[in-house]
Amino acid sequence: MASAAISRGEILHLYRSLLRTARQFCDYNIREYTKRRTIDAFRQNQNLTDSSAISAAYSDGKSQLDVAKRQAIVYSLYAPTIKSVMEA
Amino acid sequence: MAASTNSLISMQSRSGMAASRICSLKPVSVSNQGRSFLSFGFRSMPARSLRVSCAAKPETVEKVCEIVKKQLALAEGTPVNGESKFTTLGADSLDTVEIVMGLEEAFGISVEEESAQSIATVQDAADLIEKLVEKKD
Repeated sequence: MASAAISRGEILHLYRSLLRTARQFCDYNIREYTKRRTIDAFRQNQNLTDSSAISAAYSDGKSQLDVAKRQAIVYSLYAPTIKSVMEA
Repeated sequence: MAASTNSLISMQSRSGMAASRICSLKPVSVSNQGRSFLSFGFRSMPARSLRVSCAAKPETVEKVCEIVKKQLALAEGTPVNGESKFTTLGADSLDTVEIVMGLEEAFGISVEEESAQSIATVQDAADLIEKLVEKKD
């Protein structure tokens, strides 16, 4: 494998980080959406073989992770007081 | 004179007029056993001696099996027990990460990156969960 290629471990680390960040949202809808979207996106790109496509998808995922982390903090400043009906 | 029960030995040696060498040896050698017997609870004792088998409670294994079955959407009759490997059940690495996330949420624990990568069977997951739940308490 070329040294510039993204390793499987890094991809799984990104996946885990996205799912963990999704848990930090206080809004039920955004939390569920983030989880759903990461699962769908990673499944969709599961079979990529071209290394440039893989690294493009990986850097896209990383920027999304940064967005999610920032937004989790911002949303927590305006946390809803009432829990959503969907939550148990 | 030598007490058969561990807890009495320390008291006996104080009053014993036996040779001091013997006295000093007894508490050291036996009280170690005494300490290890008394201080470890039921749960950690098997974990200390037998790391791989029967270290996790069956309820934990049961709960893990339930979560795995739900995550992988397995048919009702599929046998899932402690020895089932995730790969044989049809899980790929993404599924394994999702399963570990689900377990974290169900048990209220936080699994490290390296430990998560070493999980291969249901039993591994249950053992790790037990260890983390213990540490948390």
